[in-house]
Amino acid sequence: MRWLTESYKWVERRVQLEAPVKDAMLHPVPKNTASWWYVFGSAAMTLLMLQVATGILLALIYVPSAGDAWNTLQLLNHEIPLGWFIRAMHGWGSNFMVAVVLIHMMQVFMFGAYKFPRELTWVVGVLLLLMTLGMAFTGQVLRFDQDAYWGLGIGASISSRVPIVGGPLVNLLLGGPIIGGATLTRFFALHVFVIPGALLAFVGLHVWMVLKLGVNEWPMPGRPVNRKTYDAEYHKLTHDDGIPFVPGALWKDLVFSAGIIVAVAVCAAIFGPYGPTGQPDPTIIQTAPKPDFFFLWIYAVLSYLPPSLETPFLLIAPVIGIGFLLVLPFWAGEGEKSWHRRPVAVIVLVTVAVLWGVFTHLATFTPWSPKMDAWSGSTVPAKIVHNLSPVERQGAVIFQSKQCRNCHSIGGVGGERGPALDNVASRMTEDQLIRQVIQGGGNMPAYGKNLAPSEVTALVRFLGTLHPAGQPAASDASRTAAAQFGAPSQTQSSSPTTSPQKTQ
Amino acid sequence: MKVSLLAGAALLLFTAGCNRLPGAPKAGVEEVPRPDSITSFKTLYGQNCAGCHGDNGRNGAAFALNNPVYQAWIDDASLRRIIENGEPGTQMPAFGTKAGGMLNDAQLDALVHGMRSEWSKSDAVSGQTLPPYAAAKTGDAAAGKAVYESACARCHSDAGNKITDPTYLALVNDQTLRTIIVAGRPDLGHPDWRSTASGHPLSDDDITNLTAWLASQRVSAPGQPYAEPQ
Ligand code: HEC
Ligand code: HEC
Ligand code: HEC
Repeated sequence: MRWLTESYKWVERRVQLEAPVKDAMLHPVPKNTASWWYVFGSAAMTLLMLQVATGILLALIYVPSAGDAWNTLQLLNHEIPLGWFIRAMHGWGSNFMVAVVLIHMMQVFMFGAYKFPRELTWVVGVLLLLMTLGMAFTGQVLRFDQDAYWGLGIGASISSRVPIVGGPLVNLLLGGPIIGGATLTRFFALHVFVIPGALLAFVGLHVWMVLKLGVNEWPMPGRPVNRKTYDAEYHKLTHDDGIPFVPGALWKDLVFSAGIIVAVAVCAAIFGPYGPTGQPDPTIIQTAPKPDFFFLWIYAVLSYLPPSLETPFLLIAPVIGIGFLLVLPFWAGEGEKSWHRRPVAVIVLVTVAVLWGVFTHLATFTPWSPKMDAWSGSTVPAKIVHNLSPVERQGAVIFQSKQCRNCHSIGGVGGERGPALDNVASRMTEDQLIRQVIQGGGNMPAYGKNLAPSEVTALVRFLGTLHPAGQPAASDASRTAAAQFGAPSQTQSSSPTTSPQKTQ
Repeated sequence: MKVSLLAGAALLLFTAGCNRLPGAPKAGVEEVPRPDSITSFKTLYGQNCAGCHGDNGRNGAAFALNNPVYQAWIDDASLRRIIENGEPGTQMPAFGTKAGGMLNDAQLDALVHGMRSEWSKSDAVSGQTLPPYAAAKTGDAAAGKAVYESACARCHSDAGNKITDPTYLALVNDQTLRTIIVAGRPDLGHPDWRSTASGHPLSDDDITNLTAWLASQRVSAPGQPYAEPQ
């Protein structure tokens, strides 16, 4: 073992890293920062290392060409021992990393840690978030499957809407006007060299500033940040009542990071790798591409916006959002750190988190989009079919063949774009049903021109059977009266009590 | 030393068992196959036909295809032609790519073969001769009325199950009627050609005449929403 010590000394004599490392490790931190709330930053870094390691392994096999990408992923999934597991670790690691970075950011925001003197640490952090998202997006593209293909198409069409530079921007992104081989090599370069390089450099800067400026103290209500006095206060806090960073705070970081890695591995083992879904072939239109989960909310928001607002939203919202994050530490660089004294910050954070959750949830089952194969794939429940007359049964066939089912469910199966029709007859009369079918309304197309009168009649008779067993179908009281007292002749139909229709 | 041995053993175990982990991709199973490469009968039928013809070919709004009498009756060529080109005058769409649908030749064949192997039974008609699939001549409507009275009227006279309703007749073609008369709808309790008339099966002529009479009940402007009460 002597030679080891000797060589260590030889190297240390030349690089002289021992002192700064020791300094960094033993620098005092405020005692109450050794808290489980402070572990997310280091966990994000651990995940970054995991991504680098698994990414290098994947890059050994992956071929970034339009013809081979999909096949090499199949190779990894099926042929290479543990190849699928490495893919799964990388995919889930990416999800965890985005999540942990976001949580870290929320924690920093809540704790007011972006205030003086840590403004730049925060700004660099925002850039790191953007790069992490960039990695997630470019990584999804490298999968080069159906989802990636359409995701890219949507990304390109968003970029193309940027005024003036839109066209050239798309060209730059895709390496041409369309998605092709050049696109994939570009994204490969971005995902493997450009963004990771920048990411690692900025992480270095970020961590350096954290070490130099010290870990943010636990926020105390009534102890606002003041540029003139903060340094002295922090010095006092760390030196009178501090503990050394190692091992005082570090062990919690280590335990949490290890836990995160285990969680990634468990997810990878249980849920497996992402895709690749179907081949990226623009001629396959029977596909419902969806972005990975952190971009799902955008998908939901866009679906709810009227088309005329899409472009403004896409182009302005990110600018405002990122701008807000970048300006925040300069605009609110002093003052209270504690959330007890920052109600607006709390409300903003909770609102954003809830909105994000709701939109993400909505996007996972997209109630707004018709289910394109319900008409031919979702059966009319057997119980209903058995109780129909021949005409009504034809109505049920028309309900399927005219694709009403794609937007309307019966028995819980079918699209959710329009209301479920299990009980329509108890809330709509025959006349109303006819009107709805012929004229449409709301988000329902008008079918008047596409249905023959006999088709409308059969369809409406079928819809008329859809009511709960014990409850009669809705009916028009004036018609019942007319049936009872005899229909008045058509010439009197201006009088309010008469019905223009004949009895059935 | 001990620790690294243990770790090594664990890794070995893991590697050996890893393909049995729930997340491991199944060999030979594409995550999302190309839609035009699906040839499994169950999938093809479930995605394209079940909506109208019912789960597993019965209890659907349209004709029950799993009826063994029907499977014994229709020939492969007609079956394939109907799936490929649709059935004019009904809601049966054309599924073949040549007719604007989404199913290619291999998939059409898979459907025909799948129906045969899943739904046909060798003893379906127990030795009786079936009338031909298509009518060979035009029927005599007047004679058909008599067949209707003797074979159908007893079950189809209520307002709730009229088959002479012009709206109904406007939505089905003559072949559809012939199919129902011959093969029946066992899932709904409608008998096949052997037992609608008491005592004897309907002959080819009976069926052709009956269809002609039903066809003669069609009206020029069927299904007007506020037409005379029927
Ligand atoms: C593109 C999707 C879509 C299709 C296809 C569609 N609908 Fe609708 N339908 C809707 C929507 C959305 C509504 C709610 C309309 C509104 O906002 O007023 C609706 C409403 C209805 C209603 C009223 C239900 C209620 O409780 O108010 C009926 C009945 C109805 N549709 C029948 C049909 C029939 C029959 C067809 C086929 C001929 C059909 N729909 C096809 C989307 C659709
Ligand atoms: C939109 C509803 C609809 C769908 C989907 C549909 N069919 Fe049909 N099909 C019909 C109707 C309606 C008829 C005419 C018979 C009737 O009225 O019941 C019919 C008739 C048929 C017939 C002929 C019966 C005869 O008269 O000999 C065959 C065979 C058939 N369908 C097979 C299929 C197959 C196979 C599929 C899936 C690829 C399919 N159908 C999908 C509605 C549908
Ligand atoms: C033993 C009773 C019985 C006899 C006899 C009978 N049917 Fe039916 N039929 C039924 C039942 C039950 C149904 C299904 C319920 C319904 O539609 O009312 C049915 C349904 C039908 C249907 C509609 C099928 C569908 O897919 O919607 C037609 C068409 C039909 N029968 C024609 C005939 C003709 C033509 C005859 C005479 C040859 C006949 N039936 C004799 C009992 C009978």
